Amino acid sequence: MRVAIIGGGIVGLATAYNLAKDGVDVVVFERKYLLYGASGRNSGGITAMLNNERLIEMAKKSMKIYDEVQSEIGFNFLYRKDGYIKVASTENDLNKLKEEMNLQKRMGVKVKQIDANEVKDFIPDFNADAVIGGVYGEGGVIFPWPVIWGYAKGCRELGVDVKDYTTVEEIVVKDRAIDGVKANGEFFKVDFIVNAAGAWSNEISRMAGVELNNKIIKEEICVTESLKPYLDPYLLDVTTGIYLSQSMRGEIVGGIVGNEVESIDVKGSLDFLVKYAKRAVELIPKLKGLCILRQWAGVYDEGKDIPNISTTNVKGFIQANGFGKFGMCLAPAAAIEVTRLIRKT
Amino acid sequence: MKDRKIVCRCEDLTEEDIIHAIEEGYDDLESLKRYTGATSGPCQGKGCLMHVIRILCAKTGKSPDEVGVTTQRQPVNPVPLYLLAKGDEK
Repeated sequence: MRVAIIGGGIVGLATAYNLAKDGVDVVVFERKYLLYGASGRNSGGITAMLNNERLIEMAKKSMKIYDEVQSEIGFNFLYRKDGYIKVASTENDLNKLKEEMNLQKRMGVKVKQIDANEVKDFIPDFNADAVIGGVYGEGGVIFPWPVIWGYAKGCRELGVDVKDYTTVEEIVVKDRAIDGVKANGEFFKVDFIVNAAGAWSNEISRMAGVELNNKIIKEEICVTESLKPYLDPYLLDVTTGIYLSQSMRGEIVGGIVGNEVESIDVKGSLDFLVKYAKRAVELIPKLKGLCILRQWAGVYDEGKDIPNISTTNVKGFIQANGFGKFGMCLAPAAAIEVTRLIRKT
Repeated sequence: MKDRKIVCRCEDLTEEDIIHAIEEGYDDLESLKRYTGATSGPCQGKGCLMHVIRILCAKTGKSPDEVGVTTQRQPVNPVPLYLLAKGDEK
């Protein structure tokens, strides 16, 4: 059996890694370089404090896999598990957080409600007046770059052909079944194609004659100069969508949860920086003297199902996309689901 | 003591580190940046990018044009959050 994976992001590489461990012959096509897409542009927030059973289960499993796979592959993902805080500044948002927390608790996630002042127990310089309350639970921050390099290394060591700068030009379908894929002018005969192209999944799906219609979301992020270890948990303000955390390199990495866009673009905007800066210094006033070094943007896709792991009416064409903003949280466990789906198809 | 040529001061990378990474297969500028961290520190490439390009050209036989440059993004110089926070939102 031979499987082609389109997309060299966390979903594609984790799937390739699992398939290869299972003895499958795998080739991965990445149009740009590894880390070009959302897997290389996100803020690395990891948590199981999510809002439905499937996502919580998948995130819990993924966190466990991250622990194990680093030593399995021999690569340090710079995964720091110092907690995850969600805060809210409206009653409505806080009630939603509480409801979600009850579900998370039932499913064995370590999470508790905290009032605005208690946020200070975790973030000493937090401005309690900026929010009305929140929740604190297990989670943390991972550095996406080594995650991808690590999975790519693991893949290559298992014989996976990871091809960067390789464009898929044609998906060859015969009698409603996958025959192969043409990339950079070369034909690869395969039994399965996994569409793990993130924000580009709609285009890839169309090449196989399958309509997908995932939403495209653009999100902007920025990074400050480095500080000594200062900020333990990952902080998300659900009311404004603003989040920030300290990376293992010491920088404060932060952004605003993205919005749907018509077409893909990765330009940064001054509007974003202003909006982010206003709220960030409200939440933690002491950050105000910190300098922004760089800002960037990225795109991801959100399916009707998050994530969309499914077969299609073209035999052998498998969807593994639509992860929304949860790609890093869910991919390691999702990859096992994709592998199972291929095995039983 | 061995001679060490520092290429990237922010991330403390020597010429040897860069060459190693290229030899390991991170032989295009975007991958090399993301594997070594070069150009991603406080200087944002102002001090190191040209050195990294030079080494990459020498190792791969490519011209600087073929190697290209990393995406240049704002701000050109670091800007403190309190200044940005004074800006107007659209």
